[in-house]
Amino acid sequence: MSEVLIQVLWVLGSVLVLLSLCIIANKALREMRERRGARIRRDLEPRILEYINGKGERLAALLPPPRGMERQVVEEVLLDNARFLKGKARARITAACEDLGYVRDRVRQLRSPRWWKRAEAAEKLATMKSPRAAPDLIALMRDEVPDVRMRAARALGHLETRTSIKPLIEAFRDPNRWSALRIADILSGMGPGAADELMESFATLPIKARVAAVDCLGRARSHRAAALLINLLSDPDRDIRARAAHSLGLIGDPNFTPDLLRSLRDPAWPVRAMAAKALGKLGRPEAVAPLREALKDREWWVRINAAEGLRSMGEKGLAALVDAIEAEDRYARHAAVATLEGAGVLDQYVEKLASPDEREREKALVFIRKIVAAERTDHLMQTAARHTQEKVREQLSRILAPGEVKA
Amino acid sequence: MSPPRILVADDDNTVRRFIVTLLADRGYEVLEAADGEQAYKVAERAKPDLMLLDLIMPFRDGFDVLQDLKRSPETASIPVIIMSVKDREEEIVKGLNMGADDYVVKPFNSLELVARVRKILEREIRRAE
Repeated sequence: MSEVLIQVLWVLGSVLVLLSLCIIANKALREMRERRGARIRRDLEPRILEYINGKGERLAALLPPPRGMERQVVEEVLLDNARFLKGKARARITAACEDLGYVRDRVRQLRSPRWWKRAEAAEKLATMKSPRAAPDLIALMRDEVPDVRMRAARALGHLETRTSIKPLIEAFRDPNRWSALRIADILSGMGPGAADELMESFATLPIKARVAAVDCLGRARSHRAAALLINLLSDPDRDIRARAAHSLGLIGDPNFTPDLLRSLRDPAWPVRAMAAKALGKLGRPEAVAPLREALKDREWWVRINAAEGLRSMGEKGLAALVDAIEAEDRYARHAAVATLEGAGVLDQYVEKLASPDEREREKALVFIRKIVAAERTDHLMQTAARHTQEKVREQLSRILAPGEVKA
Repeated sequence: MSPPRILVADDDNTVRRFIVTLLADRGYEVLEAADGEQAYKVAERAKPDLMLLDLIMPFRDGFDVLQDLKRSPETASIPVIIMSVKDREEEIVKGLNMGADDYVVKPFNSLELVARVRKILEREIRRAE
């Protein structure tokens, strides 16, 4: 019995020792590989950087033909630098990737039976930005794995070629396989070409995709889309009207003000909220009074956007907010106070309580009493407890004492 | 006359090495810093003619370094170009308001960066004359 036990223990011990040796050897090998990689990078990187910075016509002429690990390192250096460059240097990286066969290798990898290999290849091709990869990436958009499909779409977005726009717009038509929002994200980064194609296909898109497409037109800041977006402010679908208002705000042409002022009276609150936000961005003085009125809206989102809109309109907008502190409407008062707090206006007045100038102090007292009368005192109470100056703390505590200010 | 001295402060080794090569190839003397703390110390000690400053760095962020540089009379006159992936209008305005001479958004065009560097250095030379 004891002999059997000894044998079992011996076998177990041997397995453990063997496993430990394997782990140590594997670690040592990995470290050796990393050190070798770092050494190769140190050797090759200066020549690769010289090429990226304009030396020579081809990187292949500056390097010995890279093989094995060297080949891997050269690709790594090129792609690392591609992350933060644009313009001529970026184009030279793409040319080197094509010339040294990295694009060809990664296109081949797109056909790997392992999905993560296909995803990795799509990712690398996105950074290489070679239009030569477009047909294979378009084909990859039919991959069975959603993650691979999405990486193919993103890679096509990076290519910024006309051929890659159409399949992305087509993806909009298939909501079961594609997230319209993510496709819109990709298309909006592709510039005016994508916006033009999107406008052409707009009428034929399903409704969900249209909402995302409207967003995309705004984020692409496409002025050419203005007429379509203004028309969409009267669309029967409220989500489309709301996104159209938002997109007009992003494009930011002050001439949109009259159309957006009409949307500020839309029966659907999401449209009113987006119109308020957009009007704030356009910053036209004729929008101040309607936005001041929108502070009374029964929907909090509209009120908050109207207040934020006024805040972003500078002096006139802030004056309207200060004025709204005394509004009869409780919602308008609260929205105005919350926004003035956020804009730091309230803190500025609190600081003036310690001013040597008596008139400044008096002005600050009047303003703070209005805030107390508006029944939004959380911020003031916190400041009264924490302010560094005793004088300010005392004055605030006095104003905040019950019965001090009558509404 | 010694070449203008430029300090490149960026915690990303690849970005830093790229800019160092780019500027050294054009005859500038280039110093490096890999974090905010080091950036401030090197700037204070070496008084470079220009500083390229990343915003997101360990220990101290670029805004913090810029604020201290501009506060100290010793370093306030060092021109600074901020280089950052932060591309929002508020951040650009904040950087310029804090005293940066220029703001370059990453990804950047290398030739454009060299032109901006040259322009600021020429302006400083004219100012000194």
